[in-house]
Amino acid sequence: MSGRGVRRFVADLLRGRRPRSFRAREADVDELRAAIMLRAARPGDAAPSEEFVTDLHRRLTTELAAEPTDRDVPLSASPGPVVDATRRRLVAATSIAAAAAAVVGAVADHALSGRGAAQGGTGGEQTLIPNTGEWRTVSASSDLAEGRVQGFDLGTVVGFVARTGGELRAVSGVCTHLGCRLALDAAARRLNCPCHTTSFALSGELLRYQLAVPPAPLPRFEVRETHGVVQVFAPPGPVM
Amino acid sequence: MRAAQAPQLRVVTGEFYPDWEAVYRDNVERVYRLMFAKVGNRADAEDLTAEVFLAALRPLRVSAGVAEVRAYLFATARTVLAGHWRRTLGREVTSLGDDEEPAAVPADTAVSSDAPRRTAAILAQLPEPYRRILQLRFLDACSVREAAAALGVSVAYAKVLQHRALRRAAQLMEVAR
Repeated sequence: MSGRGVRRFVADLLRGRRPRSFRAREADVDELRAAIMLRAARPGDAAPSEEFVTDLHRRLTTELAAEPTDRDVPLSASPGPVVDATRRRLVAATSIAAAAAAVVGAVADHALSGRGAAQGGTGGEQTLIPNTGEWRTVSASSDLAEGRVQGFDLGTVVGFVARTGGELRAVSGVCTHLGCRLALDAAARRLNCPCHTTSFALSGELLRYQLAVPPAPLPRFEVRETHGVVQVFAPPGPVM
Repeated sequence: MRAAQAPQLRVVTGEFYPDWEAVYRDNVERVYRLMFAKVGNRADAEDLTAEVFLAALRPLRVSAGVAEVRAYLFATARTVLAGHWRRTLGREVTSLGDDEEPAAVPADTAVSSDAPRRTAAILAQLPEPYRRILQLRFLDACSVREAAAALGVSVAYAKVLQHRALRRAAQLMEVAR
């Protein structure tokens, strides 16, 4: 018999609802895939609604206007020969492909942790992705203007979310050394551990420590902004 | 091979998009359809489509040409879909394979998917009651009650039938892969 998670997933699909998350077993995968394929084959359902297309266009306009970038800077290092401006020919196809691959790498990173390509990670950071998670609201967008930081406590996890350079980042609010709760020093834009003089940046990087071994950077949360609120992907609240 | 469709071209492959809005207009339906085929529900397909464009447009070099832009959007979509499954189920239930990449097929045929044909082929292999329950529930949008009435069985049995039929279809799909 299929598990409860699979049955609920299929029932949601058939009701046209967003299927709920659950921890799928390897044995569930074929059935889930079959249900999706069958449902996706229903006639007349596969096209996007006009409302969605218009709404996303509006969102993109806002997003792109918020942080103008220089679109004329080519990703490819080798400038191609100048050809008729309206019908430029592809030059350096390989370098374009390589550039696209590099960007896709950056996008993968972005999709995972909500940060853009610009920040060089220190390599040690981890994104916390719970087996069973949901998007949980931690702040109104209006309370997180550029440069602002908000602490949050979701019962299962605590953390801080900040908007820096137009990007949202959320990190754990627990010191990676021995688990003391970090305190926000808003003026210095850092998180201080009350136990052993350790400090972290809002991005999770370790800034200062007096320990024999540097503690790991703070885990990140996935973070998103939707309908005027900021959400992190976190385990559901504890049952009271 | 995919049949060539009546062309509804706005931009011809080999040419260039004038700006990001043209990229969006020309590709939003394509990306959405790809996602819908892989998640089977509107809410997720919309969120994932938005995620693709939000992630892709800023670093996008519009002058890269239509084929490159589409390949890049496709690669982004693949990453976004993988992230979706990691977040929601912890397993990669579906993925965007190379054979679905729009750049691999002639201009604008990519919007058409061969999913309906594959689905029909799977259904045709099932025993009659299995085929009918899946047809009624998944393709004809019948409630379990309506499907039970159409099949002349109890609601409880229709549910059992649906579970069995789905498992059987899943096995057949595995073989077909």
